[in-house]
Amino acid sequence: MNMEVIIEAILFAATAPVRVEEMLEVLRTTKPELSVDEAMVRAAIDALNEKYAEGGHAVRVYAWGEGFQLSTIPDMAPYVQAHSQERRVRKLTRSLLETLAIVAYRQPVSKPEIDFIRGVDAGYALGKLLEMGYIEVKGRSDQVGRPLLYGTTTYFLEQFGLSGLEDLPRPREIEELLADPAFSRERAQLLAFQQTEETQKQS
Amino acid sequence: MYRVQIGPFEGPLDLLLFFVKRDEIDIYDIPIARITEEFLAYVQLMEELNLDGVGDFLYFAALLMDIKARMLLPAEKAEEEQEVDPRRELVERLLEYVRYKEAAGHLEKLHHMRQLHYGRGYVPEAEQYQEVEERWETPSLGALIRAFRKVMQKATAREVVHQVAPEVYTLEEQRAFVLERLKGREKVAFSSLVMRRSRAFVIVTFLAILELLKNQVIRVFLGTEEDFYLERV
Repeated sequence: MNMEVIIEAILFAATAPVRVEEMLEVLRTTKPELSVDEAMVRAAIDALNEKYAEGGHAVRVYAWGEGFQLSTIPDMAPYVQAHSQERRVRKLTRSLLETLAIVAYRQPVSKPEIDFIRGVDAGYALGKLLEMGYIEVKGRSDQVGRPLLYGTTTYFLEQFGLSGLEDLPRPREIEELLADPAFSRERAQLLAFQQTEETQKQS
Repeated sequence: MYRVQIGPFEGPLDLLLFFVKRDEIDIYDIPIARITEEFLAYVQLMEELNLDGVGDFLYFAALLMDIKARMLLPAEKAEEEQEVDPRRELVERLLEYVRYKEAAGHLEKLHHMRQLHYGRGYVPEAEQYQEVEERWETPSLGALIRAFRKVMQKATAREVVHQVAPEVYTLEEQRAFVLERLKGREKVAFSSLVMRRSRAFVIVTFLAILELLKNQVIRVFLGTEEDFYLERV
C-alpha cells in the first residue's frame, strides 16, 4: 500500500480539514518502514491532485484552515446544489463582513476599536460572529477597562478557503484605492442612476 | 430642501462616503457645511421613520457641526506654525473605513467562492441543528451571554409592567383611508392627504402608502421636490 493511497483514504473519510501532523502520525505508526516526513506528505498530496486533474475527476485536495480537505471543484457546484435542494448559498450581511474584516486584519482587536472604525456599535455583529465560530476571544487588552480582544478562528480560514492569515488579500494603500477606476466607476453608476431618475421625473 | 435617498447605509461613515462618491468630492477637501446639512436631513428622516441606530448618526452629526463651527473660527496655529485642518480627523477616519469596506468585499468574494466547494457530508446541516441540545462542549461566550439574558428576561418579565399607549391610527385604517381618497380621482397629492394632521397620522399614512406600493395597488410619482402624487394602478 503506498502512502498516496493511504492519504487519499484519510482525506476521503474526513469531513473537516486534516492537518499534516495527523497524517504523519498515522503513517509513522502504521508504516514505520516508509519513514515519511512532511515534505513527502505534501508531495503525495500534489501527486493526488495531478491525478485528479488528469483523470478529469470532480474533486481536488484543498489547503484550508490548518490542514487539507478533499472537496468538489467549483464547476461541480450547480450539480451538487441541485441534488441538495435544502442547502442555499448563505450570504453574510455587510455589517458582519465589515466587522469580520476589521477583526481579520487587525487582530487581536477590541470592541471599542471596531466601533470606532465603523462608526457604529459592533456588539450585535461580534455576538453573531462568535456564534458562527468565525471569531473568538483571544485575551484582554491592557487599555482602560481591559476590553476583550478578538481574533479569527481556524474555522474562519476553512470557511473562507484560506490556509493561513497570510493568504488574506493585502489591503490596498489609500492612494491606490482612490485612484482605482472602480471607485470612479461606482461614482459614475450613481450619477447615471440619478439622471435616469430625473428624466423619469420630467416625463 | 435636499432630496434624500434612504439607502442601506452601514453607518454614519458609510453615509458620508456615499456623499463623497456621489458628488465627486475630493476626500481631502470636504465641503463641510453642505455635507453637514445633508447629513442632518438624513438623520431627521431616520428619526421620523424610527429607523434603528439613529444614535450613532447623531454622534456624527454633532461631530460634523463641531468641525463646521471650528472652520469658521480663525485657524489655530500648531507648534510648527502649521494650520490644523479641523477636518483632518474625520478624513482619516473615512480613509480607514474605506480600506475595511474594501476588505469586507474581498472576504465576501472568498466566502462565495468557498461555498462552491463541497466537502464530504455537505448535507448534515439539518442534523447539526438537531444536535445542538446534546452538545456539552464549551459554548461560545456569545451563546452564554444570550442564554443569561433570556433567563434574566423571564425572571424580570413578571415584575416590570410597561404601559404602552395604543396606536391611535392603524395601518389598516390608513390603507382604507388612502384608497377611499383615491376613489374616482385621477391623482391625489400626498400633502393634501395629510394636511393639518398629527405626526402620528402622517407617519402611519406614509407606512400605509409604502405597503400599498409594495402590493402594487397604487403607483407613486414625484411632483415637486417636496411632494408626491398617488394614483391607483
